Order: sequence, then structure tokens, then C-alpha cells
Amino acid sequence: MIMNPQLTNSIVEILPRVEGFAYPNEATTHPLWSVLIVVYPYVTGLVAGAFIMASLVRVFNVKPLEPVYRLSLLTSLAFLLCAPLPLLFHLGHPERCFEIMMTPHLSSPMAMFGFVYAWYLMAVLLLELWFDYRKDFVEWSKAEPGLRGIIYRSFTLGVHDVSDPAVQLDARMGRIISIIGIPSAFLLHGYVGFIFGSIKANPWWGNVLMPIIFIFSAIVSGMALCVFLYMILSWARRTPIDMDCLDQMQKFLFFALVVDAAIESLDWVHRLYSADESIHILKSLAAGRLFYTLLVGQAFCGTLLPLLLLGAIQLFGRQMAVAVRQRVYLASSVLILVGVLAMRWNVVIGGQLFSKSLRGFMDYKLEFAGHEGWLASLGLLLLPFMILAVFVKLFLPLSAPPQGGGLPAMKPSGSTGAA
Amino acid sequence: MQRPRIPPQILRLLVLTIVIVTVYSIARYFLTPQSFGMYGWYRAVALDEIAARPTTYAGRKACDECHSEVVQRLAKYEHKSVSCESCHGVGQAHAENPDVAVAKLTYSHCVRCHEADPARPKWLKQVKSKEHYTGQRCTECHIPHQPNEVP
Repeated sequence: MIMNPQLTNSIVEILPRVEGFAYPNEATTHPLWSVLIVVYPYVTGLVAGAFIMASLVRVFNVKPLEPVYRLSLLTSLAFLLCAPLPLLFHLGHPERCFEIMMTPHLSSPMAMFGFVYAWYLMAVLLLELWFDYRKDFVEWSKAEPGLRGIIYRSFTLGVHDVSDPAVQLDARMGRIISIIGIPSAFLLHGYVGFIFGSIKANPWWGNVLMPIIFIFSAIVSGMALCVFLYMILSWARRTPIDMDCLDQMQKFLFFALVVDAAIESLDWVHRLYSADESIHILKSLAAGRLFYTLLVGQAFCGTLLPLLLLGAIQLFGRQMAVAVRQRVYLASSVLILVGVLAMRWNVVIGGQLFSKSLRGFMDYKLEFAGHEGWLASLGLLLLPFMILAVFVKLFLPLSAPPQGGGLPAMKPSGSTGAA
Repeated sequence: MQRPRIPPQILRLLVLTIVIVTVYSIARYFLTPQSFGMYGWYRAVALDEIAARPTTYAGRKACDECHSEVVQRLAKYEHKSVSCESCHGVGQAHAENPDVAVAKLTYSHCVRCHEADPARPKWLKQVKSKEHYTGQRCTECHIPHQPNEVP
């Protein structure tokens, strides 16, 4: 081994931070999967969740949610575009990323992610958006001059047929794609859960419930994000909030949260009752190194509190003033968003904080700068919002879009439109 | 009888799909390394590339050629199983040309094995370096080639 005083000295710094018994090779400055691998499933989950919110309109025909249909799809797209970035940052050498697509191996989850991602982006999201917006693109391309006009014209792909049969076909295709999109969204995020769930050597991860937990937490976080964005966007644009829509969104969010909380509780009940050899270290992990993120962040602030708040609205919502309901909705959606981020942290980092010996704990001190620091993570979390701002500017104009195959987006009034 | 007509938007998407698949296939053809897959899921030439890398470690035999006295002494003590280059650094360049000096010892590498860690076996002598004669060099009290002796 080449002598590196920095490396050897780091042992002196690291070992006192190790608690109990950890193997020498586990005593490292950083866990193998850093905070960027926390951001990655979080962003992917938001993609899947926002898409499920949109599909409630398309597939399940939930009319009151129509005002957020396009916003949900655009949110899903903005976050999907950023989903691989944390991985590229983490792996380094982003210039080599195309190689997994050139020589993909079936046993490589990373390579399969490339295809699941490409499928979800190109065959689901972009297609659904295109069919939904096609008529608007044609009309906007005629009305808008300059760069905007060029953008809209290029998005028409040269098809200018907006006759009734063509628009009806768009709507039909959009629905079919949305139906295909639901299992695809489950596949996209179930895959992320699968990556952790299939690591049987780690008792914190190796669990068949993991993909299901990931899917439901994704739905919850995506829906909460849609609620948050809809309210913020309405306030920013000074358009009235459609309370029918918001109430309905919260209803679905509440039900999804109930299922999510039930499955995650089931996971813990199962772990505690079966009490295999790892249970002692996992209990110490939950009560010790993950106390603030798991018990306070995820369980109390991210699950219990929103459940109580949203549950109270389900029971006493009619007696509450609109302004109170709105504040409760906003607060609970923010709590859920933070709670799910804490859940991703608990899974990814928590699984690397205890020794394989099940007798000791390691430490993770998050750095500020550096390509795996929290500044980079914050940037990667904010980037989708910036992309979404551009999308909203381009594709969600304040005035109602022309009637046609697409569903009305952000409507200035509180009424609901037809598909 | 009129032939069923493909709607223009579907036709355009089909063309776009064919273009994307074609571009992917062409890219795959040109970007897949020539020797890929000859032996397995990797570039076969990578083996030759790795084999052609210059060696950096000389091994104990090379040290023994000039420093046999030290090597023989070391063989009698606890550090007999520790490679010379574990502490002195890579030595191939020095073995080929004695004028090239080996890396300067900083003695920070002692803690690599001797820093207190409950995971290490009990027979391995361990210290908390921050509390153990702080500020002094290990070699002021220990001789690495004869760990049992004192200077």
C-alpha cells in the first residue's frame, strides 16, 4: 500500500467515532452510499407519486382533480429529468454513463434502471404529455411569435391536424398510455426499493416489503408535492385555489398515507415480533443514531402529525374555514415531504451505520461542499423546481388553454372542466 | 376499397421511434469496444492493458538483494509478516535504480495497525495515539524492525 499520511491519520479520527465493535474496513470517513443516494430515491419517488396523481384524472376519472392534471405531469417530468443526476454525481465520470446503455448486462440493476428510466421518460411521460398538449401546441405555434413559437412548432412534430377525430384519438391514446404508465411508475420506484430489498446481507434493507414501502411512500410524497406546488403556484399567480380539487387531493393523500403508515408499521411489527438476531442492533439504531430522523422526523412529523391533521379534516373539515383548511393542507404536505426525505435517509444511511458484526455503530458526518456534500444535494433537490418553473411558464399559461383533447390546466375559476 | 389510413400523429411517432432505435443501434455499433464480449462481459484488451501497467511493488526478494541484514533481522521479530513496502512505500523504482529514494517515512502509518480498535485481536498491541505520548514520534521509543527492543 502506498503510504498516505492523510489516509492513515484519518484512522485516528474515525475510530473514536466508531461505537462498539466494527470491523476495520467498516471504519471509513464516509459510507459507500452517501447523501446523494438519499436524494436519488426521493426524487424518483416524487416522479412516480406525481404521475399517480395525474393518472387519477386520466384513468380513474376523478373530475375534481383536473386542475392539477397537467401540473402533476409536468412535475413528474421535471423531477424525472433530474432523477439520474444524483447517481451520476455519486459515481463520478459522468462521461461514461452511456456505457451502461451500450453494453447493458441483465444482472446489473444499474443498467436495467437505464432502460426502465428510458421507457418511463420516452414511452410514458413524454408521450402522454405530447398527446395531451398536441392540440395546444398547434394553436400556440400559430399564435406565439419568436422563440416560444419555434418551441411550440417543434413540439408539434409537424402534425397540425386538430380535427375532432384527431383530438379524440389523442385523448384515447393519452388514456391508454396513462394506464400503461401506472405499472411503469410502480416499476420505476419499485425498482429502487428492490435495490435495497434484495441486499439480503443487510437486515435493515433485505426485506420483501421494501419495494412496496417505497412505492407507497413515493405515492404519498408525490401527492404531497402536487398539493404543495398547486397551492404555491396559485398564490404566486394570485389565482383562486379550487377547494374541490384541494379537498379531493388531500383525501387521496390521506388514504395513501394511511396505507403507507400501515405497511411501514407492519414492517416494524414483523421485525419486532420475529425478533431475529439483528433486532437488538436495529432497535439501538432507531433509538440512537436515527432517533431524530426516524422517530422524530419520519414517524412523528412525517407520518403521525399529518395523519392526525388530515384525519381531523376528514372528520371535521366541513366546520373548518377555508383558510384554516388551506393552512392545514400546506403544513401537512410540507411535513410529509420532509418525512419522506427523512425516510429515505433512514433507509440509505441507516443501513450503513451499523457494523456487519451487529455489535457496533459507525458514524456519518455530512460534509458541506464537495460533490457529495449537502450543498450539492440541496442543489440537486432545487434543480427540478427550477426546471418546473420553466415548464410552468411555457406550458401552463394563466389563461385556460384552448378546448380540445387536453384537459384544462390551472384554471382561474373554481369550476371544473370536462376532459 | 379504401385502405385503412394511419393517423398522422401515430405515423409521426412511429417514424420518430424508428429514428431513435436506429440512432441507438448505430451508436451501439460504434461505441461498443471492438474486443468487448470476446471472453465475457468486458473488453478483452483490458487484460493486456492491465498486464502492461508498470509494476510499482518490488517485493521482499528485491529488498533482500541489498538489505539482507535488515530483512533477516526483521524475520526474527513480530513484524516478520509485514511487507517492507507496507511501511517504506512502493519500491520498484528504487530496486531498479538505488539513486531513486523510497518515500520518506512519516511514521503516521503505525496507527494503521496499532490504533486502538475493539475489533482488532487482543494480541495486537494497540494504543490511543491521541493519548499515547502525544507529540513524540513512534521511533523515539520503538524500533519498527525489532518491536521488542528499545532504542
